[in-house]
Amino acid sequence: MNRKRLLSVLLIVVLSLSLASGAFAKGLVRITYYFPVGLAGPLATVMNEYVDEFNALHAEEIEVVPVYSGDYDPTMQKVQTAVQGGNPPDVFIVEISELPTLLAMDAIIPLNEFADEEYLADFFPAFLENSYTADGQFWGVPFQRSTPVFYWNKDHFREVGLDPDVPPTTWDEVAEFAQKLVVRDENNEVERWGVTISGGWNDWIFQGFARQNSSQLIDFVTKSITINSPEALEALEFWVHLTQELKVAPPHSTWSSTPPDFVAGRTSMLYHSTGVLTFMKESAGFDFGVGFMPANTTYGAEVGGGNLHIGKGIPRENQEAAWKLIEFLTTPEMAARWSRASGYVSTRVSSYDLPEMVAHTTEHPEYLVARNQLDYASGKMMTPIFQRVREIVKTALDEATAGKITPKAALDRAQDQTERLLRDWLD
Amino acid sequence: MRSVAIRKIRPYLYLVPSLVFLAIFTYFPILYSLYLSFFKQNILHPQPVFAGLANYVDVFDEKLFFTVVKNTFFYAVTSIPVTMGLALVLAIFLNEKLGWVRNIYRVVAFYPTMIPMAAAGMLAVWLFNPGIGLVNFYLKKFFGVSTIEWLYDMKWALPAIVITSIWKNFGYFMLIYLAGLQNISGELYESADLEGCGFLQRLRYITLPLLRPTTMFVIIVGLISSFQVFDLVYTMTQGGPADSSNVIVYYIYQYAFRFWNIGHASALTVLFVSALLIFIVFLVRTVERRVHYEV
Repeated sequence: MNRKRLLSVLLIVVLSLSLASGAFAKGLVRITYYFPVGLAGPLATVMNEYVDEFNALHAEEIEVVPVYSGDYDPTMQKVQTAVQGGNPPDVFIVEISELPTLLAMDAIIPLNEFADEEYLADFFPAFLENSYTADGQFWGVPFQRSTPVFYWNKDHFREVGLDPDVPPTTWDEVAEFAQKLVVRDENNEVERWGVTISGGWNDWIFQGFARQNSSQLIDFVTKSITINSPEALEALEFWVHLTQELKVAPPHSTWSSTPPDFVAGRTSMLYHSTGVLTFMKESAGFDFGVGFMPANTTYGAEVGGGNLHIGKGIPRENQEAAWKLIEFLTTPEMAARWSRASGYVSTRVSSYDLPEMVAHTTEHPEYLVARNQLDYASGKMMTPIFQRVREIVKTALDEATAGKITPKAALDRAQDQTERLLRDWLD
Repeated sequence: MRSVAIRKIRPYLYLVPSLVFLAIFTYFPILYSLYLSFFKQNILHPQPVFAGLANYVDVFDEKLFFTVVKNTFFYAVTSIPVTMGLALVLAIFLNEKLGWVRNIYRVVAFYPTMIPMAAAGMLAVWLFNPGIGLVNFYLKKFFGVSTIEWLYDMKWALPAIVITSIWKNFGYFMLIYLAGLQNISGELYESADLEGCGFLQRLRYITLPLLRPTTMFVIIVGLISSFQVFDLVYTMTQGGPADSSNVIVYYIYQYAFRFWNIGHASALTVLFVSALLIFIVFLVRTVERRVHYEV
């Protein structure tokens, strides 16, 4: 008897609650927002703060439900599963090279109607390169964006008689400096590397090296794949020269462990994202410099990071609400705030003229290096099934730097595998 | 009449809930994978197209597949014997009367098992860091070993994962062995004492033979879990460098959720499940004959 009564009371409570929330939801647009952050923890909190501010501004009108979705890979997986399940997120950030995959899945809408010329003119052009298709459609708004930069340990430079304020500016100088900086023990084993080209995202850094040699690996718009071009081959031969012949650079490493290696003084020079600059400043007990990645025929870098997208197949009012969120997150003021909190490059040109940004960059000029390097930077390579292409390129690089295969054989194989994988797209 | 029928049906009724769950979450997915494995479906072809055995041909066409199988076997063959040996030795010692020290040792040995796998993986990444990790520090200090690049090195990445898994799992196996040891009747040891048997003789003629059912269980559980190793690979190396630590389940995961090639991933899954099944049946048939279950 008693149990039955309890049950009916519970039922009534549940029913009335759901009715109440239904009434409350009238007129309120609720949208979900998936976001990854490269560095877990603090940045997710920052993002939640922004969303709270947005929700307060649009109380009774829009409610954004932020979903912290881990790293870039898990975020893309969540988006893909949600799209396949017919329930796409309203607005989300994924890694910029995922655009062709999103298009192949028919997962996003073009944003031309929302983004006017004046708004777009204030973004750094290099950051916009991963947003367009050949037909001029605009698909994603730059948000958390970066380029790789070059870090060097000034104490180590002093120790071996190099000028601590003059980093290497060419590939040849990288090799020359690294030979001076490397330290070996009595068994000729390396105790301190001269230079480290961070693994894990080494495909990304390698694209920068192809740019520094006036070439590129993949052009999305013209659908040309030139992974084994003579210029790219020269770049990989340079890597093998550093790792196998001179033995001044480790053949492999992981993305997350090389910044601590640099901070611990285990390597004197490092190629890594500008995104770890804040970590370096907080952790390094020594003087270090930040500069452009050294040039061969030219300076060069590829942009990286994540763009904001709006999902397809959601109600019109959700799309409009999603755009309001995107606008809110990408004003010059917010771009500047996010840049200071994270170490990412601010996406808006004018944000660097804001008083708080001027004060910040005057005090810490290192934060300007990645922005200045943008003059030499271009869009990141992208294709459908990009994750597979990445694996193909990374395996070629890793096997070559391990000395298991010649650079030429490695790149020829990668070229062939990529062409076969994408033959339907290339036709 | 009726009561007999009910009595016959009753056990099956009790099994229904677990069968429903197994059917939904295990048997259906296995059969569905079999079905999907005959279709081409990937990002460029979101609509499945019947492809016969093409996915299976693709699987064997890729050299990496054999590397991955080899890596998985390497993991199983190196990690299981060491984990079992360590667990057995510890269990035998901790089964002796050592007073309160025993409980402390049991906790210490079991502790790694309680750490979540992902946390253990992250911890291991730091321990194995070539420059600032404790592993290299102590190897150098006590054995004069010069720097090993561990996770950065194609030769050492997989062994580092094996070592981590041994550290992580031996406590669990030890617990199973301890339970097995406590099932062995004390009378047997008493009579052995009366006959004047030493420690080694008791071990050789009583403990080890009577632990066979436990050993059998540990081998099967160990094999299954080591063929399924994923978490440590995911957190420590993501299969790298150059796939030198890629294993079957991680490889399937890559195809399914990173390359989004569902057909290929399903074909891999079907092959994997079949191989595992054949292996277990074979193992149970050959080894079980030599196991005594009664005491």
